[in-house]
Amino acid sequence: MTWLRDFRILVALVPSTAVILGPFVWLIVSSLKTEAEIGAGHPFDLPDNLMWQNYVDAWNVGSFGSLIGNSLINVAGVVALMLLACVPAGYALAKIRFPGREWVFFGFIFGLTIPIQAIIIPLYQLLQGLGLINSLTGVVLAQVSNGIPFGIFLMRSFFLGVPNELTEAAKIDGASHLQILVKVFLPLSTPALQALVIISALSTWNDFFLPLVVLISPEVQTLPLGLVRFASTFTTQYRLVFSGTVITFLPVIILFILTQRRFTEGLTQGALKG
Amino acid sequence: MSNDTTRAGRAGAIAARAAPAAAETYKDGSQDSAVTGFALLLPAIALYAAFSLLPILVTIWISFTNSGGFNTQAEFVGFDNYLRATQDPIIWQSLLRTFLWLIYHVVLAGGLGLLMALAISAMSRGRVFFRTALFLPHLVSLAVVGVIWANIYDPFYGLLNTVLQNIGLGGWIRGWLSEPMLVLFSVNVASSWQGFGLYMLLFIAGLQNIDRSLYDAADVDGATAWQKLVHVTLPGLRDVMTFVISLALINGLKGFATVFVMTNGGPFYASEIITTYIYRLAFSAQDHGLAAVLCIMMSILAITITVTFNRWRARGAA
Repeated sequence: MTWLRDFRILVALVPSTAVILGPFVWLIVSSLKTEAEIGAGHPFDLPDNLMWQNYVDAWNVGSFGSLIGNSLINVAGVVALMLLACVPAGYALAKIRFPGREWVFFGFIFGLTIPIQAIIIPLYQLLQGLGLINSLTGVVLAQVSNGIPFGIFLMRSFFLGVPNELTEAAKIDGASHLQILVKVFLPLSTPALQALVIISALSTWNDFFLPLVVLISPEVQTLPLGLVRFASTFTTQYRLVFSGTVITFLPVIILFILTQRRFTEGLTQGALKG
Repeated sequence: MSNDTTRAGRAGAIAARAAPAAAETYKDGSQDSAVTGFALLLPAIALYAAFSLLPILVTIWISFTNSGGFNTQAEFVGFDNYLRATQDPIIWQSLLRTFLWLIYHVVLAGGLGLLMALAISAMSRGRVFFRTALFLPHLVSLAVVGVIWANIYDPFYGLLNTVLQNIGLGGWIRGWLSEPMLVLFSVNVASSWQGFGLYMLLFIAGLQNIDRSLYDAADVDGATAWQKLVHVTLPGLRDVMTFVISLALINGLKGFATVFVMTNGGPFYASEIITTYIYRLAFSAQDHGLAAVLCIMMSILAITITVTFNRWRARGAA
């Protein structure tokens, strides 16, 4: 009887999935049309000739190569700093028994729920004072600071699950906490590190608010910001807007489909365990 | 929502669940030195103090000054900005719109996430396919979602109106982003299209944790599918549901990019929410005193949501 139940679910699920994914199909089909075909009013009709030229034009006019490069630098910087800051901090809050630990912990809780928009004025002033406006370094520092509480909680709760006997045995052998972290804990931490890397990378790649505020010149802008600027410059040239948009979302979607099991696990575990 | 980082949105909800660590000693009663602990915490504390804690304190200070923009001298003016805030009709309107926006997001994105999770989890095969396919919108930046949906809602070339025309529903054609009563909902549909995938994943994980024997027992009692849903599945999802609602509220509160890209708060402030108004006051109007008051209101809302759900969850666990 399972096939009958599956069939009844599919009758509802297939149309809803089609509607939800409709925008992607429409964008990809339209991105290969001429302006005249786009204006013809039949959104899902296939184009007569595949206009790959749209992609070449959008890529060149919109400097997507440099936007993607900036986004990659941004992601690499955030992920590296997140790991450097959150892994030792999460370990310290979980396994090192020192006076003042609870105070630090509450310090992180204090700022945790404050949205980035609510501190943007002094943050802008600070970056301006440091000469980091219009620089990816400024965006990276602000994004890392914004993500640190989450990263610490994720790593801390993972490390809390590792038995204390491991730490105590290593301590008796004379190992320092740094050695225990690197040699004992890190090799065990792949799932948590994976979750931290995936979540930081995706949210940085997709971030808009901080880049919007900090990155002013087109040469330093990241992909979402660059696409918004591109789309508002070429509002009436739909073929360029559509192919530029596809260039922006397709790489991440392909990467996700290739690694979807790890990706999904990382996101779910990150959200639930953090 | 352009929270803009989903990471930060999640963090807010997670803080609510984090229990304070107990003071610990080793078996012989000894402790590590504070130097060891703080040495490993140093990079995190330094970054966090400079770029998060300090700005929080300075925001409070700015709300008591007449700061007229970046690079200007500001004087202490007491509660003037707070008084001005109560008299600014746009602030009240944007708060009201923000509440509506939150309700739309919880219902649309949370509801769709739950429905899809229930359908997918009930299948015996093909789960991974649908889970992967339905998660795809969540991978797209909310700013890009804004660009996509601005084109979907385009009155002439847009997907929505042309499809309505083609299937004989020409009478339903609307100016989705130009009608004041409709615009906030239209933009929220775009945000919720992007947001529901994560909630769906969380619901799927929650469904996997429900004890199978409860369903077997219900079968023995001859329960219908509906009775099983109401008496076994939904109660079993209680914890995940409160978590998803708090996450959706925090994500909704941080929503910015879709509104900014699709309407920039218009027409005539009809889709102005708290974040877009903060941005306008801070970077266009350069009225930092008033913007800071709004920032504090937003922080209080975020803290209230987190604390309320923390209590709610604690009561459920007790």
